[in-house]
Parts: sequence; structure tokens; C-alpha cells
Amino acid sequence: MQKAVPQKVVNYRKPSVGRTILQNRTLILMCLPAILFFLVFSYLPMPGAYIAFTNFQYDKGIFASPFVGLKNFQFLFSSGQLGLLLKNTVLYNLAFILVGNFLQLTFAILLNEIACKGYKKTAQSLMFLPYFISDVLVSLLVYNLINYDYGFISNLVRSVGSEMPKVYQNANAWPFIIVLVHLWKSTGYGTVVYFAAITGMDSSMMEAAQIDGANAWQRICHITLPTLKPTVIILFLFAIGGILKGNFGLFYNLVGNNSMLFKTTDIIETYVYRSMMNSFNFSQSSAVGLFQSVVGFFIVLGANAFVKHLDPDYALF
Amino acid sequence: MTVKARIPDHIMRTSRIKKDKTQITINIVTYILVTIFCIMCILPFWMIIASSFASEDSIRRTGFTLWPTEVSTYSYELLFRSPDQMLGAYAVTIGLTLVGTLIGLFIVSMTGYALQRRDFPYRNGIMFYIYFTSLFSAGLVPFYLLIVQYLNLRDSYFAILLPLLMSPWLIVLMKNFVKAIPHEITESGKIDGAGDFRIFYSLVLPNLKPALATIGLFLALSYWNEWYYSSLFLTTKVTYRPLQYHLYNVINKVASLKNSVAGSNVVIKDLPGETLKMATAVIATGPIILLYPFVQKYFVAGLTVGAVKG
Amino acid sequence: MRKLVALILSLMMLYCILPAAAEGIDTSEHVKIVYLVTGDMPTNRTDEVLAKINELLTEKINAELEFRWIEWTDWQTQYNLALATQSGDIDLIGTATDWLDAWPNCQKGAFMPLSEDMLKTYAPKTWESVSEAHWNLCKYNGEIYLMPEDNYAQWTNHGFMYRRDWAKAAGLENGVHSWEDLGKYFQYIKDNMPDVVPWDANGNGSSYSPQMAGGWQASHTGNINIEGFPVSLFYGESKDNPYTLSRYYLEGDELVNFAKEMKAWADAGYWRADVLNYTGDVAVEMEEGKTGAHQHHTQTWTSERTVMERKQPGSDLGFFWFGEEQGNLISLNITHGAMAVAKKSLHPERALMVYDLMRNDPEIYHLMQYGFEGDMYTLDENNRFSRPEGFEDSTDGVSFNFWWGRNDNLEYKNAELDWDAIDAMYAAYDQVKIDYPYGQYIYDNSNVGVYMDNLSNVYNTYMPRIVFGMNDDPEALVAEFRQQLQDAGIETVMAEIQSQLDAVYKK
Repeated sequence: MQKAVPQKVVNYRKPSVGRTILQNRTLILMCLPAILFFLVFSYLPMPGAYIAFTNFQYDKGIFASPFVGLKNFQFLFSSGQLGLLLKNTVLYNLAFILVGNFLQLTFAILLNEIACKGYKKTAQSLMFLPYFISDVLVSLLVYNLINYDYGFISNLVRSVGSEMPKVYQNANAWPFIIVLVHLWKSTGYGTVVYFAAITGMDSSMMEAAQIDGANAWQRICHITLPTLKPTVIILFLFAIGGILKGNFGLFYNLVGNNSMLFKTTDIIETYVYRSMMNSFNFSQSSAVGLFQSVVGFFIVLGANAFVKHLDPDYALF
Repeated sequence: MTVKARIPDHIMRTSRIKKDKTQITINIVTYILVTIFCIMCILPFWMIIASSFASEDSIRRTGFTLWPTEVSTYSYELLFRSPDQMLGAYAVTIGLTLVGTLIGLFIVSMTGYALQRRDFPYRNGIMFYIYFTSLFSAGLVPFYLLIVQYLNLRDSYFAILLPLLMSPWLIVLMKNFVKAIPHEITESGKIDGAGDFRIFYSLVLPNLKPALATIGLFLALSYWNEWYYSSLFLTTKVTYRPLQYHLYNVINKVASLKNSVAGSNVVIKDLPGETLKMATAVIATGPIILLYPFVQKYFVAGLTVGAVKG
Repeated sequence: MRKLVALILSLMMLYCILPAAAEGIDTSEHVKIVYLVTGDMPTNRTDEVLAKINELLTEKINAELEFRWIEWTDWQTQYNLALATQSGDIDLIGTATDWLDAWPNCQKGAFMPLSEDMLKTYAPKTWESVSEAHWNLCKYNGEIYLMPEDNYAQWTNHGFMYRRDWAKAAGLENGVHSWEDLGKYFQYIKDNMPDVVPWDANGNGSSYSPQMAGGWQASHTGNINIEGFPVSLFYGESKDNPYTLSRYYLEGDELVNFAKEMKAWADAGYWRADVLNYTGDVAVEMEEGKTGAHQHHTQTWTSERTVMERKQPGSDLGFFWFGEEQGNLISLNITHGAMAVAKKSLHPERALMVYDLMRNDPEIYHLMQYGFEGDMYTLDENNRFSRPEGFEDSTDGVSFNFWWGRNDNLEYKNAELDWDAIDAMYAAYDQVKIDYPYGQYIYDNSNVGVYMDNLSNVYNTYMPRIVFGMNDDPEALVAEFRQQLQDAGIETVMAEIQSQLDAVYKK
């Protein structure tokens, strides 16, 4: 008896790890498939990222290949272009995130105000259409609209007697075009996210507000928007991790080898592609990816800590 | 419901009668904005459909059209030249999409629920463990070796089914959706003595329909549009390849025949280039746009059917 | 005792039934040789032909052939990935020193060194047919890694295809034979044919930069392109002084002249204003009479001439080849196509035996290249082959994509092509051509790789603008280009390459 008592006391103060696991065994089991999934498909191969620090020899394999330190990172840093590339990549991503989320939010809220169910559903489906158009086709479409010789818009401009600028020779026009195309492609996808969040909202609050005499505008400002806040924050945190990663397909197909536009359109991915076009190198491309990840990781850590400081409930982890 | 019940009838009536001017303004603005955007979305798509039926020659001369002047179905004939290939590609993609979405949706929602439980002490740790993988990836060679040499999945449809089952993004999204469900539901379940899984399956899942539909849509899209893993892991030994990869190959085949890369002496007949690209877009997009609304209905219903019974 | 004799006898009989192969080679185990090849999975009768070939291979050496296709979707990544992650799953690899990075892949350990003994024993016919000089061109660090396609006449030197009928109308009675002629030809089209773009280039393809810039260079200097670099900036001075690097891209007026001329052509409207983003198909446009020229190589011209004669009768498609003004022409490097054995191949001996038969056995070779005789092709009295009426390659043909050991001793010529014109062109080439002088030089990237990537970027940034005259001041643009090359370290790279060249050729 005397032995058992202090033991019990300790147990009450601080439940042992084994006991916590036991208590939460169902919840842990529910997470297990996902844990295993990421273990196998993400963490198992991860040590292979060591390839970025080697001169990869096919016959020796990744881990027996000679270690070369940071040599594979060198070409990016010695290019003299890194400043421009970082600037372009970050600014484009910020524009995509900020303007994109604003549009998606707006459309989701507006759609929610529509009573006609058929219209709502049709609009949602139609907004999704551009998502399906591949980057190759998008670039063809853009070319057909704005090319100088016979573009649709060029003809239109000429028919009213003005002179069409040569858009494909004017770098300053392209940030607008690229952001516009991106928004056009992605708004439908993002709207669905916010729309689902609104639909999942507790409807009793809305009804109560209606009864209290709140008008539609007030309801949006005081109920819908605050309920969407966590979603906005989560999406923002998630997107910020990829701040240095660019959408190669979109940029490469729209701009191609037109170096007159590079000043405003060159991002890390397109630069790397151009540099390694004829000298394929697994190690160097891994190095670039690792660099983008590490920077993104620290930015996310910072942003998440900041959000956690304000309200732990909104943080990503 | 409970709120409504407490409010006397005459107040309800007046609130309905009272005209909300902002509502009208918002509605007008909405209809205008949404309609304009929808036209922006559908017009290019219509141009693609129309151009896919145009002759290659007219496309080159006048660019995209709203209505083809010379109608030609040659691109479609070329795509359906080996119909069993095409139908096989559809079958594989539909199969992968259905199975993958169903399994993925179940795991993602289960994980999302567990990670949202405030009384689950490991939730932040597990969330970080999952989120971390969205930032760091091993790169092409290690991943390829994992699938081909360690899991031995070359030429297996599992090489496509498995890696697409879930993503950190979808789990985070689901977790966020679950957050909107009142914690009281879980609490009431606990009081009734239900286990955690039972609570999730019988009480939470039925309230998750919009979230399930959304995540299901995203999962289905990732399976439907898949071509990259197919190009890596399915060699030509596999007779039926997923739709998008099959279509990519048709386009590239035409391009390579035209360029006759290493100078074979083959004399090539006329092959469409641009219209073929359009036709593939139509063929790849059509079914999922037309079918998804129907499938979705039964999908979500099927997933939550157990809950209704329980 | 009698039993023992019987046993021995029956064992001997068993041994005799086993396929009779080259003497002393153990082929008792039936093996599958996997052949890595670029190209799309055939939808024609390839499988049928392969079955027949496998029957023959089993009979002769108890082996069979299996394809591993690297399809054109994302093929560069796929090809390198297959080499990098090999685990005995591939045996024979089709490769090339110019378009499939044979040497860099060799340096990374993708291929198996082939000893003389191995080649003599398992690929004896190939060993004999390739001269010692040619074997030397296939060596890296003293070991043979490639079996070259060195007995196959083909020309892949670039130039412009043009229509002789239009050239005559433009006053060029003998056709186009210089860049100057070409300018006149384009101007004639511009002036007289409002619906035709003189050269409707699709500048989106990156390949125009090295072809056009190198083309002007070949026509106006004696410089010789050295292969195997990731960027086309390194040329030998001349055929008399091939092992000194030319400073063409760093100084001198010729590059400036080129930039000025192309600027003038752009301003004159010889191609469309948005050429750099245009993705049309020039060959098809030419066949439809919508453009007057197509920039590609001789091999393409040989087949395009026939197509054009059918679609634009009387067009009499000619070919102006770069370097024609000076007779500056280099033969194709023999490793433009070659076969290698995978480093981790489990059956290298048998792989070599299979290759030896593919390359040298008439029956197998003809099956592979043309299909079943009588059914899929017929031969005329000149040993030229024709396809039957209504034959379409994508459904009725055979595709082995065997570009790694074609053999002129066994080739049939295509009766459809205009051999008079082709032979005349080849004869003209033969008068001026010199052998590729750098066959023994293999570029080593390890010291200057970083600089090379940045040079590659500078080149790909500036050259398209120079080539298509997309600038306001060509002189200033060339100056800027040269400055950028300096900043990216071109002097260091050239010094390194020069010393590597010296190490090979100035002993």
C-alpha cells in the first residue's frame, strides 16, 4: 500500500507518454494512414536531397557520389541575376496571393448572396473552365488576342483608327498580362474554397442577424467576413511557403525565349531552365529547389509564429 | 431552427417585408460582375471548341474563330484512330479518379477531424509533420528510385493512385472546414459514450457535406489532370495509359513526326497541329465538366450514408 | 559403363540441340535484352516484325529484344532519368554525342567500358567494320564506350530551303547561294506576294539562335563549330588552324554585321513582328505556299523536296547551305548516332551480340528498317524500295528508331526521293567537306561548369534578339552582349577549353 500511493500521486500530476497515447489511441489511429503516407512518399526519399551537395555519378548512386559542398548552388548566386529573379518571383507571387484572394473572396461572398440556385451552380462551373485550359493553349490564346500582325485586339484597335502597340516588345505590359491570366485561371478554383467555407457556416447566426434588422452589407461585414478570417489566414500562410517558387509552365509558355521581356518576366524557374537547357544536371536542379524551400520554410516559421502570437487558434501548426 | 422558434410570428413577418436596399444593390452588382466574369471564362473555351472543328489551314490564316468557316473533324478522327486506346484511357482515368477520390477523401477528412480536436495533444506536432512535406521535397531522382526500386511500382497503376491520395494542402483545408462545426457536437457524442471514430463518422461527417464536395472536387481534378507520374512510371508496356498522358503523347507524336527528329526518310502526310491541341483539350475537359455534378451528388451521399443509418 | 556412355552421349546431344552460337560462347541461358530508345510507342506493325526478329535472335544467339521507349513527352528528363536510375533493367542504349549528351552521360558513369576483347568476341563484325581511327573517336580515358554509326551517309548541316521558281522570278537564275541572294529572294517575295511571309519563322523554338548565328559565321569566316558544349560559343579558328579558339563572339565586325543585316531584314518585314512568340509550323506553311523559306538541314530537304514537288508543282525546292560562299563544310561527326551498353547491364555480352546482328545481319536489318518484303515494301531493279499504294507509316510501317548503327552496305534507298538532286548535292559537298576535326576531344565541365551555365543564360537571352533583329541599335546590342559574356567569365572558360584542346592535340 505505502509503495503504491506515491506512484499514484506522480501519475496524477503528469500523465506518462504511454498513458497519453493510450488515451488518444483512436485519434492517433485516425491520423495513422496520413502519417504513414507522408512517411513513405515524402520522408523516406528525403535524405536523397543530399544529391544537391554531390557530383551525382549514376553508377555510384546518390550517397556514394563525391561530395562537392555548395558548388551546385554557385551558379545561381554568381549569375548577377539573383536580385532581379528574387524580386520578380516574390512580386508575382505576392500579386497572385493578394489580388487572387481578394477576388476569390469577393466572388464567393457575392455568389452566396444570389438566391437563384441554378444561376449559382452554373456560374461556379463556368468559372472553373479556364482551370482546364493548359498553359500551352493559354499562350496560344493570348498570342491570338494581342499579336501585332493579326491579333484580335490589334485588329479591333486598328479598326477604330488607333495604332496598336507592339505588346510582345514591351516588357512593362507583361506583369499585368501575366497576373491577369493567372487570376483568370485560378479564380474559379479559389472561389470554391471560400464558398464551401461560407456554406459550412453556422446558419443560425445569419438568421439571427437578419431578424435583428441587419442589412445585407452589414451581414457580410460583421458575420461572413469574420467567419472567413481563419480560412484567409490559413490560405495565406500556406501560400507564403511557396513565395520563391514560380509557375514555370505559365511563364515559359507565355514568354518563351523572348528576351525583350525578361526584365519583368524572368523568374527563378525560367532562368534555371535557360541556364541548363543543354546541360542536364540533377544535382543543380535539386540545389535550386532546396534553396527555394529553405527560404520559404523560414518565412513560414516567422509568419506562423506571428499569427500564433496574435491568436493561437489561427496558426497553421 | 431553435432561434426561429423563439421569435414571435409577427416580427418574422415584418423583417421579411422590410425591404433591404443594400441587398438589391448587392444583387445587381453580383449579377453584373459574375456574368461578365463567366463570359470571360466561357468565351475562350468556346473558341477552343469552335477552332477544334476548324481546318488547320483556316486557323493558321485567321487565328481562333468564334465559328469555324471550314468545318473539319480531322483532329477528332486522328484522336480516335485507335478507339480502344482512347476508350481504355478514359476507363483508366475514370477508375483512378473514382477509387483515388473515395479513399483520399475518407483519409483526408478523418485526419482533418482528428487534427482539429482541441483535446488531441499531438495535433500541432502531426500538423507540422504533414505541413513540412509541402515545403521540402526530395527531388526527382530519389522519388523516382523510391517508386521504381523500393516500392517496385513501375508499370503499376498504384504508382499514380498512391502519390495523389492526399496532400498537405487538402488536409489543412479540411482541418479548417471542420473548425466550423461546433465543438458541442463532439462533446455531446462523448457524453453519449461514443468513441472518437464513431463521433467522426456519425456526427461530424454528415455536417461536412460542402467540405467533402470541395475536397472531393480537388482530389478528382488532380487525378483527372494527372500526366506527370504517368510519364515517369508507366512505360510503353502498359497498354492503357491515363487520358491526359495519352493525349500529350498524341500531340507530341504529331510534332515529332513533323520534325522527323533524327532525319528518318519517312514522307509524312498532312497532320494537324493547332487544331489537334484544341481537340485534345475538348476531349479531356468535356466529360469531367458534364459528369462531375452528377457523380458528386452520389459520391458525397455515399460517403455519409453510414452516418444516416447510425 | 554403358550407362555412362549413354549419359554422355545424351548430354552431348542436348548440347547440340541448344542454339548454335559463335563458338565457345555460352548461350545456354535465354535472355531478354532491353533496348532504350527515343520515340513514341509504335501503333503500326512493329510488334509483328519484332516477333519475327526475336524468332531469329533466339535461333541464332538464344536472346530476344525488348523495347524501352522514351517517348517525346518530356524526353530529355526521362532519358537522363532512365540512365541515372538504371539497375540492370536496360542493356542497350541508343545515344549521340550531339543531341543525347553521350559524353556527359559517359562521364557520369552511365555506360559500360567495352574492351577490345569483348568487342572482338561478341561483336566481331562491328569490330571489323569500324576502323581503328573511328574506334579512337569513341574512347574516353582510353576506353571504348560507344559503337558509332560510321557507315551511313547523311548530312545534317543547316541552311535554307527555298523555291527555285520564285528565285528565278527574283532574277536569281542559279538559285540562292549566299546570304546576299537570300536577302534578294526575301525582298522579291515581300514586294510581289502580299499574302506570303518571306520566312515565317517560329522564333519560339530556341534552336534558331545557334543555327542562324553559326550559319552566318560559317558563311563569312572559316570558323568550325566544336560540338559537345552546352552553349554554341566555341569555334575553332579555321581548317588550317583548328585547335586555336576563335574570338568571333568577343571581338571583330562580323557579328556586328550579322546583327545589322538581321535588323534590316526585320525592318523590311521578312518575318512577322512577333516572331519570338510565334509557334506556327514553317514546313507546312511552305507546303501551302504561304512562306518562301524553311530553315533546317540537308536531310530534311531531301524528303521535303519530294513533298513540295507534289504540293507545289514546279517549286523545285533548292537548298542554300550555310558556309556555301566559302566552302566551309564539316562532315557529320561519326558519333551523331551510336550505341552504348548500360553500365549495370546484367548481360553485356549478349547485348553486344544482339547489336552485332542488328547492325550487320541483312535479314534482321531489313526487317528492322523496312518490315516484311513484298507485304510492306518492294524493291526495284536499282535496289530502291517503294511502299505499296495507300501505305501509311503510322499504321502500316515499322519503327525501330534504329539511329545508332545504320549501315549503308545494307540500306535501300527510298525510290520516292529525287536521287538525282540529292546525289548532286552530296557530290558538291564531297568536294569541299573536311572531317570533323575534334572527334577525340571530350569537353570536361568540372572546372568551369558554373561559368558555362551563366554563359548559356547570356547567350539565350541576347542571341534571339540579334538573330531576329529585335532591337533599336544592333551595334549597341552586340556590345552589350559581349560585355555580358565578359562578366559571365567567358575568358576563363575559353582559357580552360584552350588548355583542354592543347592537352589533346598539341602533344
